[in-house]
Amino acid sequence: MNTVLMDNRPAQTQSAPAIAIRNLDFWYGENHALRGISLDFPTRQVTGMIGPSGCGKSTLLRILNRMYDLYPGQRAMGEVLFDGRNILSPGIDVNVLRSRIGMVFQKPTPFPMSIYDNIAFGVRLHERLSRTEMDQRVENVLRRVALWGEVKDRLNASAAALSGGQQQRLCIARTIATRPEIILLDEPTSALDPISTARIEELLDELKQEFSIAIVTHNLQQAARCADRVAFFYMGELVEVDTADKMFTAPHEKRTQDYITGRFG
Amino acid sequence: MTKDVMMPQESMHTVQSYEQELEQLRSLINKMGGMVERQVAQAITAVVEHDEVAALDAPEMDPHVDELERQTEALVIRLLALRAPMAGDLREVVAALKMSGDLERIGDCAASIARRAMRNELLSCPISLTGLHSMGRLVQENLRRTIDAMDQRDPELARIVWQSDTAVDELYVSLFRELVTYMMEDPRNIGPCTHLLFIAKNLERIGDHATNISERVYYSVTGNILPIIRPRGGTFD
Repeated sequence: MNTVLMDNRPAQTQSAPAIAIRNLDFWYGENHALRGISLDFPTRQVTGMIGPSGCGKSTLLRILNRMYDLYPGQRAMGEVLFDGRNILSPGIDVNVLRSRIGMVFQKPTPFPMSIYDNIAFGVRLHERLSRTEMDQRVENVLRRVALWGEVKDRLNASAAALSGGQQQRLCIARTIATRPEIILLDEPTSALDPISTARIEELLDELKQEFSIAIVTHNLQQAARCADRVAFFYMGELVEVDTADKMFTAPHEKRTQDYITGRFG
Repeated sequence: MTKDVMMPQESMHTVQSYEQELEQLRSLINKMGGMVERQVAQAITAVVEHDEVAALDAPEMDPHVDELERQTEALVIRLLALRAPMAGDLREVVAALKMSGDLERIGDCAASIARRAMRNELLSCPISLTGLHSMGRLVQENLRRTIDAMDQRDPELARIVWQSDTAVDELYVSLFRELVTYMMEDPRNIGPCTHLLFIAKNLERIGDHATNISERVYYSVTGNILPIIRPRGGTFD
């Protein structure tokens, strides 16, 4: 491929990946939902995951912070290496894991408490901060998600009073407040209007300077805009992973081509 | 270059109106291809056979070709804005836009050749048109195969035509030398030879546009890019 035509987003993992998945299988009871997945999430890059409903992309995201532990009958086999350890192994402290791998959901899920406490709550679970330190942390993360200007005069108001887009940015602020290394986003903008969506996408660009990000999205244009690398899943298999540029101009696999051009059926 | 991934396009879009618009784009480009192919054929006939009807006909088709180019451009912009094509579709749509530009230029070259065909200097010209005739035949053949590759979305044929423009370049260089020699021999040859030189140059340009189209076809179908440096035949050194 002619290098002049490529964008400057890094194609290869330069350093060790933030997360390395090796031969991962997953079952919902009898349902074999993921088959033999091997995939790297490069450090400080955005990895987009696309595929039709039920292809396993959200399942994969839920494995990365052991969310499936909450449900009986769900089991994973294989390796998910994070910081040198397999996070699937029983010895892992799930609470610590979830503070290092944060998650943002499709619908904004603010806690039924004040804007301030939405952020402070998670921090208090892991750190003991003085009042001033906590104030600073809250202000800092609200600034980072560009929400500070909109809420600084009503930090004690209920988070439920915020608009959908503001709530989602609050949830991202809450996620980065515990200083995770990885942020997982499951269709974070599907319930938002285009302006709020653009704000979140801008925020992802900003956040990847510091965090490694995995985003599941049904919006292909969003994956094209935000992701450095894109992985296409189909029926529990990883079909293809490549740079966003390559995936959206000249994918290798016919199934990828059919899906992203809207030819599936 | 031998193990290029062929991307069969037999599957249809879920959204049928999108499929129809792509179909419409293909038919516009094919129509344009057919039209300029005829234009070039007539231009060459006009020169070689002093055919007056052909000489008038080729330039008259120009506005129709221009109109098709405008329609292609409008449809491409519409597709990009409303359908946000991806992958193979994106390549095809962008290729169509670029190919319509090359086809339009081929039409211009043909019209320019035809306009010179009936000049008095050429009609009474003592110089043999054999060289020009074979160059014209070759260019016409390459153009025909290019348009076939375009219609059939055949990257292998596109690559072969892309390579065979070398022979056109070689013929052009030797024709150039020949005509310069005639001009040096007798200044009365300067008039007709200059026209013949321009005609040869236009044929050579048509060959170049045809190779551009081959490159577009190749990229559109395979997703791979032919090397920037095309094999070239003949130099003036």
